[in-house]
Amino acid sequence: MVYKFSLTDPRYRGRSIFAIFNYAFLILLMACMLLPVIKVLADSFNADTIYGFNLIPTTPTLDGYAYVLARGGSEYLRAFGISVLTTIMGTFLGLLLSTIGAYILIQREMPGNKFFGYMFLFTMMFNAGTIPLFLVIKAIGLYNSLWAVIFPLSMNVYNLVLMRSFFEQLPSALFEAAEIDGCTPIGTFFRIVLPLSKAALASIGLFFAVAMWSEYVHYVIYISDTSKYNFQVKLRTLVIDDTFTLDSNFNASLNTVKNAAIIICILPFIFIYPFCQKYFMTGVTMGAVKE
Amino acid sequence: MSQPVQKGNYDHIIVKKPPIGDRIKRYGWFYLMFAPVVIVLFIFYYAPMYGISFAFYNYKPNGKEPEFVGLANFQKLFTDPTFWSSFKNTLIISTVNLILATVTSVVVALLLNEVQKAIVKKVMNTVLYLPHFLSWVVVASIFMLLLQPNGLLSNILYSLHVIDADALAQTDWLTQKKWWRFFFYVINRWKEIGWGTVIYIAALSGISLDYYEAAEIDGANRWQQTLNITLPSISNTILVVFILNLARVMNIFESVFVLYNSAVYSVADVIGTYTYRVGLKPTVGLPNYGYSTTIGIFKSIVSLILVMVTDEISKRVRGYGLV
Repeated sequence: MVYKFSLTDPRYRGRSIFAIFNYAFLILLMACMLLPVIKVLADSFNADTIYGFNLIPTTPTLDGYAYVLARGGSEYLRAFGISVLTTIMGTFLGLLLSTIGAYILIQREMPGNKFFGYMFLFTMMFNAGTIPLFLVIKAIGLYNSLWAVIFPLSMNVYNLVLMRSFFEQLPSALFEAAEIDGCTPIGTFFRIVLPLSKAALASIGLFFAVAMWSEYVHYVIYISDTSKYNFQVKLRTLVIDDTFTLDSNFNASLNTVKNAAIIICILPFIFIYPFCQKYFMTGVTMGAVKE
Repeated sequence: MSQPVQKGNYDHIIVKKPPIGDRIKRYGWFYLMFAPVVIVLFIFYYAPMYGISFAFYNYKPNGKEPEFVGLANFQKLFTDPTFWSSFKNTLIISTVNLILATVTSVVVALLLNEVQKAIVKKVMNTVLYLPHFLSWVVVASIFMLLLQPNGLLSNILYSLHVIDADALAQTDWLTQKKWWRFFFYVINRWKEIGWGTVIYIAALSGISLDYYEAAEIDGANRWQQTLNITLPSISNTILVVFILNLARVMNIFESVFVLYNSAVYSVADVIGTYTYRVGLKPTVGLPNYGYSTTIGIFKSIVSLILVMVTDEISKRVRGYGLV
């Protein structure tokens, strides 16, 4: 239904007044959402030590970024590289584990299928806790290794169940046809299931990628070697540190540097976000279809 | 011309399942494929369950063997005021946050739904969803800078003459006991308000327009339509989302972990952060693996009870359980 906008016509007046207030409220909400990010962006280019409420840099500079890239023999570049590496590996491994797990869960005839389902379900309901996992990771020698971050994050039961609900929508006749034509289960998986699930792979893959990129807690718990930290940990250390001093050849304040580091951290996501938004939505509504 | 449909009793035909050995053989490849998943699941989810036994030990990384102490850790738990304070904080912070999340997301979804122009709606959605994808570290960093002394908020309040110059230069809002929870809720809403609307917008788009047309003919205005058609139509979705999140209230950790500080422990410390401090990074002394495991078990048991209760509610309300 489309309503005409008119303040004079009594039939549309109430709706039109509401529309004005509604737009005003939503625009204010948008402003509240964007203001913090714009402020950070502005301050990342501002060399002033005075932290005011200007949204345009008063003393424009790029030295905040230059400092972050150069600091400590490019330790931040290294951390950025680790972020990229773990994101790629974690996403790949996560998709591998959740597609295989989901594929097994849809084999209704397979002996043990129910048991496998409960095996996953139980982990969603009961968790041993931080310390027991920490001790296991130490015992198997993964402490201080990036695998201690990648493995626990790639085994995500929620994503696996999401994948299963997508696989369940694939027509089972296809699997039967493939079997009759002599396709092995692994062949069916790679030639039929995966090519038909591109949307699910994209959206669940993005969930994994965002989780891997954003990870902070696992690094803090399982890794003590600072050369293995990702960008999030470096950013955190930088922001809570008020004591470091800049070389005088950098025309920037502590605030400039901190804000520049935040922007570098969100930059990769801002680039892919507009192209990937629809896949995020697919993932959410895919989960919702089952409800 | 059509033949009468033969009705017969087919009960005597029994489809026999092949013997279990044959079926396992038939699925041999599947078991092989599944092995890596089982191994990872076992190492990172099931092996730690053995570690639960440390709850009955005095276990610290001091070079000594863990010493069996029976229920001493549990006795300590029930008399530990810091633990009970963190338990109380967990319940309050999570519950208030959940209620605020439900209300704000439903309201914003309803308002967005009133926007007629598709392109405007799309732009607004894009902006609203954005913060959900920022990490907690980034969100905490942004707000720590905005709320620091001389930060954006202090400057705005100063220019409105709400605070004086001293307060402008000194007030770090996130270290104020009085204000910490308030800002925690605000920051949480900032991050998740848009993402929370996704499911409601999907539910709203599923409501048949016939209802509204009928209501229009009956003379119902837009407000009456919202109350009598829209809200009842999505009430089930609201309830489902609410109970799904209720099952997770004990899990709150990272958001608090990156936003709290030692000045606000009494109002901000939750079970997750307390476990972390006891078991991994204590302010004084050695980490206490045994006691930390005990707290973890308490948390898991309360979580499990919550999951079972919400599962039961879910079964009664919508006829089937959580998953």
